[in-house]
Amino acid sequence: MTFDTRGFSQLTRQATDLMSETADVPTVLRSRLGAQHQLTRAAQEMVASIEIFVRELRSFDASGEPVVTDYQDL
Amino acid sequence: MYIPEADFEYLIRTLSEARSRATELAVSVGSRLGSEHPLTQLANAAASNIENTLREVRSAAAERQESAGGLADLGSALQIEIPTPHPAPAPVSTAFTPPAGLDPEHWLHAFVDQLWAQARASGGVSFESAERFLQQRKDEFLRDFLIARRMYRTYPHLFPEIADETRQTTSPLG
Repeated sequence: MTFDTRGFSQLTRQATDLMSETADVPTVLRSRLGAQHQLTRAAQEMVASIEIFVRELRSFDASGEPVVTDYQDL
Repeated sequence: MYIPEADFEYLIRTLSEARSRATELAVSVGSRLGSEHPLTQLANAAASNIENTLREVRSAAAERQESAGGLADLGSALQIEIPTPHPAPAPVSTAFTPPAGLDPEHWLHAFVDQLWAQARASGGVSFESAERFLQQRKDEFLRDFLIARRMYRTYPHLFPEIADETRQTTSPLG
């Protein structure tokens, strides 16, 4: 099965921005409510899921880059 | 344990924007890789987690406002004058008429209804509320779009007219 990998660098950048913009949400909630509060834990779970998505997206994007680089080098 | 109102505003604004971006990312990834690809599912999971967190933060903010309202009621019962957080409700015109030909299910109807409801309830509408309502309509549209696309891909035989159009536009003889 082939995938359209065009534009994944842009998506990776957007996802990275999303991750950095939400990174302090658990910190704010932890400082106000404590580490064990349900809201804090929900926010931590949210940040963890974004981090996993960004990591996998980066990996996917990076795995496609060498092919593009090879063609550009030619 | 106490969260100041400014923190709630910051969290809701941050999470609303994040939800919108995550939904758009999920749509973009899904359109390239398909809805069953693990990356699409991770994107959907991230968007869903943001949605859940936003809902819980909003719920906590609403509880906080209710607590403030309860304090006002207590003051009233004790005949203590406590300043109200909102101005007195002003008469609200209901003269809005949707443009002719606009589909009854168009998002504008729900958006305007929400604005009127907010105006009636609190005597005004803030820019933040209007932005939040508009964001809700946008998110709802994107969710419906995702569901419709998934349905079309899974059950194309249920949408013969779309399939016919697609064939006509892609066929060199069409």
